[in-house]
Amino acid sequence: SIPTSAASEADAEELQKEQHARSVLRETFLRCLLSMTNKKVQFHMHEKVKVEATFGASDIDVLNFQVSDLHTPIGVQKEALISPVRIAQPVGLQVQP
Amino acid sequence: SWRGSAAPPSERPGERRGAEMKKLYGKDAAKILAMETAMQLNFDRNCDLKQPKYWPVIPLKL
Amino acid sequence: MMHCGWSLLGPLQWIHYVNKQVKVKAGKDEEHRGWLLTVDPVSASLVLVDFREEGGVSVQVVMGHAVEEVEVLQEADEETAERLQTSFLPPRTRMMDS
Repeated sequence: SIPTSAASEADAEELQKEQHARSVLRETFLRCLLSMTNKKVQFHMHEKVKVEATFGASDIDVLNFQVSDLHTPIGVQKEALISPVRIAQPVGLQVQP
Repeated sequence: SWRGSAAPPSERPGERRGAEMKKLYGKDAAKILAMETAMQLNFDRNCDLKQPKYWPVIPLKL
Repeated sequence: MMHCGWSLLGPLQWIHYVNKQVKVKAGKDEEHRGWLLTVDPVSASLVLVDFREEGGVSVQVVMGHAVEEVEVLQEADEETAERLQTSFLPPRTRMMDS
């Protein structure tokens, strides 16, 4: 961009808008994750595999979910970590009504 | 010192993270950082306590 | 309105989708619908909310990396937007699922 003061002012304004949008989105997301604590959730894995568990916590990068009573196709795992970025990625999860 | 002024400044992870957060979230950085810290602590504590193992162990998608 | 390259959009684009009813294609053949509450700016994950007739809400998180396409179906009216945004406020004002 052109290094004039008008341009840098516009840039600063744009940056502030972006920062504000980012923090609104992030705060709402974190609150939503917190609200899932101890809720029954269903993870949708690849190949249409669905598993149920009790949601515990997520790390802040959303790389790992800590869950309890995970009902796997071969039995219940009392404590488990599910990672969206490992090979068998879940593509989403749903909080049970 | 023998390293002179070209030496990289010593890195302090906490400080660097604070600066990154400021860049990302502007005036809300402190609030978001506090929420994230609490959440990460909670996650770490649960993992220490419950020792969860990754599932699935074997990838479903081969 | 559709979009590919979802995770590259950034906060100023994502925020336009808030309070809209969207259809999200994720993974190979999953499709989700719901009111978009928020997009996590770190992971690009979407939070979709649906209101149940018997009261309460259902929540879906669609991982950003799995998103193939996001299509806007309609915009929330004032009441729906209000209901959506007050669903996840801190305790006391919170109305969670049954």
